[in-house]
Amino acid sequence: MRRQLSALAGCAFVATSGAALAHHSFAMFDQENPIELQGVVKEFKFTSPHTFIIIETKQQDGSTQLWSLEGGAPSALVRDGWSSKTLKPGDELQLTIEPLRSGAPGGSWSVGKTKFKDGRPIMVTP
Amino acid sequence: MLYRSSIGAAVLAAVFVAAIADVRAQEMKYPDWSGQWLRTGGIQWDPTKPLGRGQQAPLTPEYQAIFEASLADQAVGGAGNDARYSCFPVGMPRLMSVIFPMEFILSAKITYVLFENNMPRRIYTDGRSWPSDPEPTFAGYSIGKWIDEDGDSRFDVLEVETRYMKGPRTFEGTGLPLHKDNQTVVKERIHLDKSNADVLHDQITTIDHALILPWTVTKKFRRERKPSWLENDCSEDNHHVAIGKENYFLSADGYLMPTKKGQMPPDLRYFSNR
Repeated sequence: MRRQLSALAGCAFVATSGAALAHHSFAMFDQENPIELQGVVKEFKFTSPHTFIIIETKQQDGSTQLWSLEGGAPSALVRDGWSSKTLKPGDELQLTIEPLRSGAPGGSWSVGKTKFKDGRPIMVTP
Repeated sequence: MLYRSSIGAAVLAAVFVAAIADVRAQEMKYPDWSGQWLRTGGIQWDPTKPLGRGQQAPLTPEYQAIFEASLADQAVGGAGNDARYSCFPVGMPRLMSVIFPMEFILSAKITYVLFENNMPRRIYTDGRSWPSDPEPTFAGYSIGKWIDEDGDSRFDVLEVETRYMKGPRTFEGTGLPLHKDNQTVVKERIHLDKSNADVLHDQITTIDHALILPWTVTKKFRRERKPSWLENDCSEDNHHVAIGKENYFLSADGYLMPTKKGQMPPDLRYFSNR
């Protein structure tokens, strides 16, 4: 049975935020100061111990930047209905991420704060 | 000749039937802990309290200072005392926070606790005594005893004592420390909930020289009877890199990035072609 989940609704997925799912400290990510990102998926790495979304964003000067965003473990995402095919290269996303405290282009993403750029929720099959 | 063969076959069959009956009788003695067990709380040690200082851990002043230093380092993006980001083993008792699900395999002589992203625990229930000088391990050496508390000829509780751990170990990701002497003793009582067979309790008491008194918490797990299991091997694609006392993060194109503001790059003194 397919179920539509609003990525921004989020409340059903509080437990799947990066920090809640992490098997280690997520202190390197600034959880008090999240930022908004929009970009194009270059790769969705469904790997252990954490999944990664590699996303290309456009800078104000027109150049592009690759962000490395760490998410929940594949096994945890599978239990929430995600798979390695849920995102594919070329998907345009908007995300609220917790960035690296250093300011480098890395951070953590979570299911509840990720949706397509046009506002569509990400469809998953629990 | 035929007569003797028939007797032999009958004796063999009787032994076989008796053996099966004995196996079934043994199986009947043990509780049904099958399926997948998932934590019901967060990732903190005492599930009734918040992470970090909120745990109100009964630390000695020396280890409270070590804990405060860990929190201060994490506040600026460091890992503090928590080495797990680099796939370092968590060990006991933190294993029983069950960040990712676990499974029990019960037999008369040993109970295995399998974790999705950690090495298994082996709990010996064959009546053995402590080994004289075992090599320490992160999971430690566990001896258990099955208890029939309600006298119905079926075991209800597994009491476990674990010793001989190696370190460093922490209770949780905030770096809440155990003592570096690794003399920790962990005592557990594991049993199903009396009113809900899909709930498992683990009452865990930690005795450790970093603590001024034994610290008891109770973890609660829920059963998934139709589980999905996936590999969760920390070495597959970990982007966190520990170099010296610093932690870095790999960029999308595989280069080191700083995790803290103003963090220095690694010391490259042994590279001649810098």
